[in-house]
Amino acid sequence: MHPLLPSTRREFLRLGTKGVGLLAFSRFAPQFLVQSTLAAPRPEKDRRILVLVQLAGGNDGLNTVVPYADPAYHALRPTLALKEKDVLRLDDHLGLHPSMAPLHALLQEGRMGVVQNVGYPNPNRSHFRSTEIWETASASDESLSSGWIGRYLDNACAGADAPPFARDNEPDAIHVSAEVPQSFGGSVPHNTYGLSLGARAGRDDVALLERLASRPDAGLAARAGQDHDETANHAFLRATLMDSLVAEKRIQRIIDANKPEAVYPGGNFAQSLRNVAGLIAAGLSTRVYFVSLGGFDTHAGQLNSHANLLRQLSEGLAAFQKDLTARGLDDQVLTMTFSEFGRRPNENESAGTDHGTAAPLFVMGRKIAGPLHGTAPSLKLEKNADLTFSTDFRSVYATVLDRWMETPADAILGARHERLGFLA
Amino acid sequence: MPTPSLDPREAWKPLPAAAWNSDLARHLLRRAGWAARPDEVARAVNEGLPATLERIFPAQPPPLERPVYLVKATERVQELQRLKRSAPTVEDRRAFDREENTLEAAAMAEFSFKWLQTAADPARSAYEKWLFFLTDVYVVSFEKVRRAELIFRHWDVIRQNSLGPAPELAKAVSRSPAMIDYLDLNRSSRRAPNENFARELFELFALGEGNYTEDDIKQAARAFTGYRHNREGFRFSTRDHDAGEKTVFGQNGSFVGDDVIDLAYARPAAATFLPREMARFYLSDQTLPHEFFAPLGEEWRASGFNLRDLCRRFFGSVAFYHPDFRASYIKSPVHYYLGLVQDLGLDVIPLERTTLQPIRQMGQQLFRPPNVRGWVGGRLWVNSSTLAARRQLAQTLCSPFDEDRLNADERLEIEVARDAGRRRFTVDADRIRAFTALGPRGIADRLCDFFLPGRVDDGYRAALVDYLEAAPDAAAFEDRARRAAITVLQSPEYQLC
Repeated sequence: MHPLLPSTRREFLRLGTKGVGLLAFSRFAPQFLVQSTLAAPRPEKDRRILVLVQLAGGNDGLNTVVPYADPAYHALRPTLALKEKDVLRLDDHLGLHPSMAPLHALLQEGRMGVVQNVGYPNPNRSHFRSTEIWETASASDESLSSGWIGRYLDNACAGADAPPFARDNEPDAIHVSAEVPQSFGGSVPHNTYGLSLGARAGRDDVALLERLASRPDAGLAARAGQDHDETANHAFLRATLMDSLVAEKRIQRIIDANKPEAVYPGGNFAQSLRNVAGLIAAGLSTRVYFVSLGGFDTHAGQLNSHANLLRQLSEGLAAFQKDLTARGLDDQVLTMTFSEFGRRPNENESAGTDHGTAAPLFVMGRKIAGPLHGTAPSLKLEKNADLTFSTDFRSVYATVLDRWMETPADAILGARHERLGFLA
Repeated sequence: MPTPSLDPREAWKPLPAAAWNSDLARHLLRRAGWAARPDEVARAVNEGLPATLERIFPAQPPPLERPVYLVKATERVQELQRLKRSAPTVEDRRAFDREENTLEAAAMAEFSFKWLQTAADPARSAYEKWLFFLTDVYVVSFEKVRRAELIFRHWDVIRQNSLGPAPELAKAVSRSPAMIDYLDLNRSSRRAPNENFARELFELFALGEGNYTEDDIKQAARAFTGYRHNREGFRFSTRDHDAGEKTVFGQNGSFVGDDVIDLAYARPAAATFLPREMARFYLSDQTLPHEFFAPLGEEWRASGFNLRDLCRRFFGSVAFYHPDFRASYIKSPVHYYLGLVQDLGLDVIPLERTTLQPIRQMGQQLFRPPNVRGWVGGRLWVNSSTLAARRQLAQTLCSPFDEDRLNADERLEIEVARDAGRRRFTVDADRIRAFTALGPRGIADRLCDFFLPGRVDDGYRAALVDYLEAAPDAAAFEDRARRAAITVLQSPEYQLC
């Protein structure tokens, strides 16, 4: 908690003994109290922002970064293999999927990197479990309830003399997806904000709602005569509502006023990135953004659908980077993709691919050292066998946390993981 | 959350008749259904718990007829497919595709309205919510299936088997055309078995993760080869079926799919899997330990996995009414919507813009779950933008119905609904005016006691009374009465049940 708590907020402290975390409680404080008690906003000159891009469903790595020169690849993919003449060459062995021209250009300019063959030991092929493993940065056989971003936020907020992480009433992390990403879950509640295209509150008088949500002795009793105990879900709903009442006015104003300096293609994914760029440009103290592109679970007839997805990804990311660059923000933002797993090297009988293991991911920023990191997967495989990963995804996280977010990565990840070379 | 005070051996015993009262009846009606209307509460208290459960989970599943528009759209789609085959140009084919997509989406919306209207009927609520739960286990998505008719049939297959033995339900679902498409059984053949269905059968339908091996999946997938469908329905393709010997859960045999389902239900994990899913859907978003369900699972297995029996045991148990499980569960968007419709005594507005779009903005799209696991729910429903959408919906349903904004098509839909006797789309001025007669304290009590789960603290009521009393004149008081109702429905407490 902030050491300079004024006595006017002390009455709220009682809540801390009734099961509501202090962090949650601090957000119930009426805005005028918060504003009057916080130090002036910290300078944001050297802030570092991370944008996570989820490719939901399991992206087919072999048809994203294509080992076109390997005869084994063509043998594995009789109908799905991409031809040498079509791929966008990276070197004598690898090329990008033909619909990724904008990212190919970024790669050549040193603003994008590929981390090859990323996965983890004892891979799980369940969408949910593997997504959970990625989002909680756990080992395949351990179950963690907090996410890696949540633990990063925990860490940044911990310590008696640490200032509140993001400026008050500004979210610590913002996601543009229907559900809150598991990676955002911390051991204490963090102020996260869900941004959607379309949903907007109507104009109305919210004073009464603010009063109901912020009353100090809130409680619901199961029956008459009982104590009004506040359940965890009740506290959570109150905290979220108060946060959103304050945040939404501000964020909507920013998005309405956003003037991008690049042309974004249509579609929800690119528009989400457009809004993220606007929020970053407005100087929000939010450090992590999460954007999701779904549909990668290509079990059947994947050729066209995968090409469309990679085009959306590529055009969206390139417009985003161009926008950031034009606004002089590209040195503050690192963007990184991830997907719960890659797909089976052997195509299936439905011209699709089944759940697999390792896959490449992309990192994008102003200065990415070298286009290719890690090693490409070996395709010397038994029939229907899976790829064996060569880079652990937690090494990617460790590198990002350590060299980009400048935070003790090993503490957040619970173990030491090798750092990679894409960030100096 | 799993309370140490609640011994698993005691938890699943029937609630003593003497304990049954209006607080518990409200809890049952809100959790098993969507809302606790005073007349329904009184009826449940009079009948007693066992008779109430007999009534709300009837011996025979209540039917739901195929919407007329769905029949028409499906006929036209079949015609379009014939036309497409002889279409002269790519452009023509694309035009047919577009019409097809429009028809299917409209048919899906039609079914959405029909189901919502049916589920909003207090006499049907508990059953239709149970069906909704089962479709959230046996997930298919219109996003992939693309045929409203197949989605309708899938729900109907589940409906027909919703109160009988669970293995029969699983077998029927494995033959559901929508499932055959959704989990790629239609692509699965002797030479190339597709593992998708077999995996989800074990992981998400019957046993749960960790209760099978990768090899069990590979072998089970072979047993489900040859499952196809045509216009009439399920078709078994002997040519595509792998009739060879398989080893599943250590048993050998030339199994077909039904055998694998029986083998799965013979596993210990089957007895507690569905009860745990029920607990997640009805009781608590906290993961309760497996052991907690063991006694219930044993009884359920002994009943031949009878689903109606499971409902009566679950909703009639000591555990279901334990104080820890009350006024603490976050309503899903569909629950929030249908709860409002019932609490406010409204009809479903048959317009996508006013009904389906808000539900989607709150984070849930009927017939389009995010993935094969269905909706995870709990706190994942809640973030700033979904709360904003809930607030907007409460506001809309408590404000005069704005017919001026309707386009011609929408007006027609509204006329049709009115002709069918559905005309209470939002809370109109007359009802608010009647409400103002209660005075500030009366209004505050009515709002808290009828709408909110459990009892709120005095501070909540006091805030409402202060607000209402501050109205300078009668017109302002009417406005504040409406505003107070909206605010209660937007407040954190109304999001819980």
